[in-house]
Amino acid sequence: MNRLQYIGKRLVMTALVTLAVVLLSFLMIRMAPGDAATVMAGQAGYADETFMKNLRAEYGLDQPLRVQLWKYLSAVAQGDLGTSYVRRQPVLSVILERLPNTLMLDAFALAVAIAGGIWLGSIAARRPGSAGDGAVTTLSMLFYAIPQFWLGMMVMLVFAVWLNWLPPFGIETMGADYTGLARAGDVALHMILPGLTLALYYMASYARLTRIAMIEVAEQEFVKTARAKGITERQVARRHILRNALIPLVTYAGLQASILVGGSVLVENVFSWPGVGTLAYEAVIGRDNPLLLGIFIVTSILVSLFNLATDIAYSLVDPRVELG
Amino acid sequence: MMRSVRLFFAKPATIVAFAVFVAIVVIALAAPLLFARGPFTIVGMPLLPPGAPGLLAGSDVLGRDMAVGLAYGARISLLVGIASSIGAVGIGILFGAVAGYYGGLVDELLMRVTEFFQIIPSFVLLMVLVAFLQPSLGATVIGIALVSWPQVARVVRGEFLSLKAREFVQAARTLGMRDSRIILTQILPNALPPILVVGSMMVGSAILTESALSFLGLGDPNLLSWGSMIGGSRSAMWVAWWTTVLPGLAIMATVLSLNFISDRLNDALNPRRQR
Amino acid sequence: MLVSIQGLTAALPPGADRPLAIEDLSLDIAHNEIVCIVGESGSGKSMTAHAVMGLLPRGVGVTGGRILFDGVDLLQEPPEAMRKRRGREIAMIFQDPMAALNPVVVIGRQVTEQIRAHRAISEREALQQAVDLLGQVGLKDPAALLGAYPHQLSGGQRQRVMIAMALSLSPRLLIADEPTTALDVTTQAQILKLIKKIQAQRQMSVLFITHDFGVVADMADRVAVMRLGQVVENGTVAQILDRPAHPYTLALIAAVPKGASAPLDPAEGTPLLEVRGLSKTFRRGGLFSSRGAVTAVDDVSLTLNRGETLGIVGESGSGKSTLARCVIRLLEPDSGAVLLDGTDVAKMKSGRLRPLRRRIQMVFQDPYSSLNPRQRIGDIITAGPRAYGEDTAAALARATEILRLVGLNPEILDRFPHEFSGGQRQRIGLARALMLQPDVLIADEPVSALDVTVQAQVLKLLDEVRRTMNLAMLFITHDMRVAAEVCHRVMVMRNGKVVESGPTHALFSAPASGYTKSLLAAIPGRGRL
Repeated sequence: MNRLQYIGKRLVMTALVTLAVVLLSFLMIRMAPGDAATVMAGQAGYADETFMKNLRAEYGLDQPLRVQLWKYLSAVAQGDLGTSYVRRQPVLSVILERLPNTLMLDAFALAVAIAGGIWLGSIAARRPGSAGDGAVTTLSMLFYAIPQFWLGMMVMLVFAVWLNWLPPFGIETMGADYTGLARAGDVALHMILPGLTLALYYMASYARLTRIAMIEVAEQEFVKTARAKGITERQVARRHILRNALIPLVTYAGLQASILVGGSVLVENVFSWPGVGTLAYEAVIGRDNPLLLGIFIVTSILVSLFNLATDIAYSLVDPRVELG
Repeated sequence: MMRSVRLFFAKPATIVAFAVFVAIVVIALAAPLLFARGPFTIVGMPLLPPGAPGLLAGSDVLGRDMAVGLAYGARISLLVGIASSIGAVGIGILFGAVAGYYGGLVDELLMRVTEFFQIIPSFVLLMVLVAFLQPSLGATVIGIALVSWPQVARVVRGEFLSLKAREFVQAARTLGMRDSRIILTQILPNALPPILVVGSMMVGSAILTESALSFLGLGDPNLLSWGSMIGGSRSAMWVAWWTTVLPGLAIMATVLSLNFISDRLNDALNPRRQR
Repeated sequence: MLVSIQGLTAALPPGADRPLAIEDLSLDIAHNEIVCIVGESGSGKSMTAHAVMGLLPRGVGVTGGRILFDGVDLLQEPPEAMRKRRGREIAMIFQDPMAALNPVVVIGRQVTEQIRAHRAISEREALQQAVDLLGQVGLKDPAALLGAYPHQLSGGQRQRVMIAMALSLSPRLLIADEPTTALDVTTQAQILKLIKKIQAQRQMSVLFITHDFGVVADMADRVAVMRLGQVVENGTVAQILDRPAHPYTLALIAAVPKGASAPLDPAEGTPLLEVRGLSKTFRRGGLFSSRGAVTAVDDVSLTLNRGETLGIVGESGSGKSTLARCVIRLLEPDSGAVLLDGTDVAKMKSGRLRPLRRRIQMVFQDPYSSLNPRQRIGDIITAGPRAYGEDTAAALARATEILRLVGLNPEILDRFPHEFSGGQRQRIGLARALMLQPDVLIADEPVSALDVTVQAQVLKLLDEVRRTMNLAMLFITHDMRVAAEVCHRVMVMRNGKVVESGPTHALFSAPASGYTKSLLAAIPGRGRL
């Protein structure tokens, strides 16, 4: 099986995941107590029988399940995720407008988490049981146990309120009307607190995993061979231990992405970052089910595409991978 | 067994963690006896600081006793954490055992389902589930169990795959034992230690997830939990630090002690460390 | 003397089964000489090699003695100086070449890394040298190998790469730590020949660690026999092999299977077990793909009488284990018949098969994985009878009897497997199989994980049990010498097919096929032991 076939297969898998996500969404709609008509009637403020009937007819809710499912699928396929109750706009355009902000924040957090985590993990793995190892292990356990939203609030309290070093809210300074580089700098400044808050948890898990992977690799025979060659310890660690330990971390990045989206919902919320996460919160508060489902569908597709990318990356870094 | 117990308590940090966890459990169990009036009763002026007369931990935005809220919150956290982990471990064992033992197409199919649940953003799915089921304690538990089982399933499948190939399992087959007996008496007991470790880790992360849901207002509206205490005090954070700091510390202490315990459990049960 | 080890003592970490890994060990290696250290597992032979290399595992510390290399005490060398000696003056090759090569780095890089660690030359020049070296160790098309990954090579090729790497800086001492133990016998013969040839060409010294007296006979100039961290005897190869002085050496040499004592009572009558045209193909891949198929067993037939042992001999990948697993229905054969007393069990549904299962039992290879670590010996060996509804008390009573038969004390019933040695565990495994009073016993490499002295005892026991219980035994092994010890008839397999079969004596004295001849020729120490 060559690489192209492999990628093709992963693409099919991604498509299947997407289809399953959409089916799940449809199931959710059907499962919810009351249908869309009740909700809309509730929002309209009154609900007599004929009004409900007309609404149901208008939205095709009186048709057989099969027909409804087909309609739903073809609508989603055309990018029609329905209309947001609260915003009275197409769900997709509402999401797409917010998406770049979330992608920016998440990419920043993931980059910091991976780089910092691998660095800390390799320090810890160099001498298992040493003080450095103990510090990294304890810190990663601590960040594992702190609720992310609460960490965000504490960070905000300390760095934005008490120390007044960094802006506490939003993506840019309101009313400042910066342009060009100044604006980019302003956004970057706003991104530091939410970005680091988001990154810390994942950094902790990366540090932990890197440490375990490196300690495991260090016990293998080929590391002894490397030492027997007479290369320096530094070269042994970099070329042989780290090189092999990084392989499982690539796959892990894919799995992390799905958790990162969840963290993003919370952290964006705390820092009023105008991304998809805050939108999800608005959807929950406003009982805006189409918007919530739309966010679920869009983020699922994005995460499974990211997993596709890490799968391909994995097949590139590990020559042993049987592309299947 | 005794050896594992001794190994478990070999580090002083474990004893501290264990003591903290036991204390939290005791507080949770004793809450209705200590504070019969319940967490929603208004006892005085809002936002009184800790140490105010009769208020060990101060009062919240509505003038409710924070200490009572913290004690009752422990009930919700532990209940949700343990119940949803049991659910997740149950589903995970079922999926993982069947996939790992029978292999082939069954395995392929079950693993695709597992992968699906791992790839999609679990917290967003959880929000969707709870929002559509209407927020309640049951919805929270079911939701968390439904998004956390894949991790268990993977561990169980891995264990079953490697144990299935071990010669003592093959020997059991040649002796004429039935599949169900082989799974229950030969494989499962040997797969239990890692399952126990994942399960105990999961209690901690389920508590975190529950707090996040409640923070967003997706918890059971009739129950006070640590997450909803923080969520409800967001506006007061600037003037009354204790309203958000204390419940956060409570979550952290619970999860941290649990993670310490499962970490030591891992060391104590890991046969590679036993000589 | 190139190397002179004097009074070397190294301590094991606390909690190990003995305090010292190496105890007051003295050993010399002259220029241009091959010294073999031979011993059973846990003798400290490998530790000694690692001590010379300065690569003792964490927790093992030298507590006394000297290792003089060309007059310099290596134990006093600063780490950086020792690193510079490693690979340049002293090189080492290991037991499992697959594990010893970095799986994600191409061969070329792995060879040049060693050269460039000690010489200031460009990658290009180093690659040129690598091609020469790979050619010197008999690898074909070395230039193409530079870009290959270890998993794309065969076991023999990998060990050749390791040897090429070790030779790259013309070391004065080569340490070979069981370099052929993970290889098939024909490959082993080639690698041994290669090491010997290179040693002669380059006039270097070799410290060769092995557990196999056959290998010692083929390789050594001088021999040191180790036991529990000490050298019990030390001398030229002729002294040690022909006039061993120490009783332990004597016992070790006596335990080596010589392939000369094949039992001579070929039973007659209708076959108890008959396999006809059995085939098994493994298909790989999943829901969306198939990655080709491997025919592991290809149209194999055999017969087995009561009281008879049939040996199935072959190298790895010959299909011998797959065949055994198809016969006992741990695997489902694709086609063919397995007749047990005339009843075909090859395709039988599991419900009907269950009562018949007890008639064919198996002894497994790995004594450490063949017993459930969480069950007591009593539970393990009565599991079979209990699965057939036998009453526990009755089963336990019979267990006592069977344990005596396999030479174990019946009082062990409430102990756990980890309390026993490898040889004892194999006896327990045998007892478990015998509890069902089978007609056919399949022994799948039952002694290959055991030390040679224990190996001899277990082989003897198997033969006794076969005789007392009048069993038909299917004996799977990779070792021609072992097969010749216990089998009435031998069947040689290669790539899933039967190469030839016949009575043991006939087959060994006049093999018909070239392959069998090469297998026999590859037996280490042949004619010397």
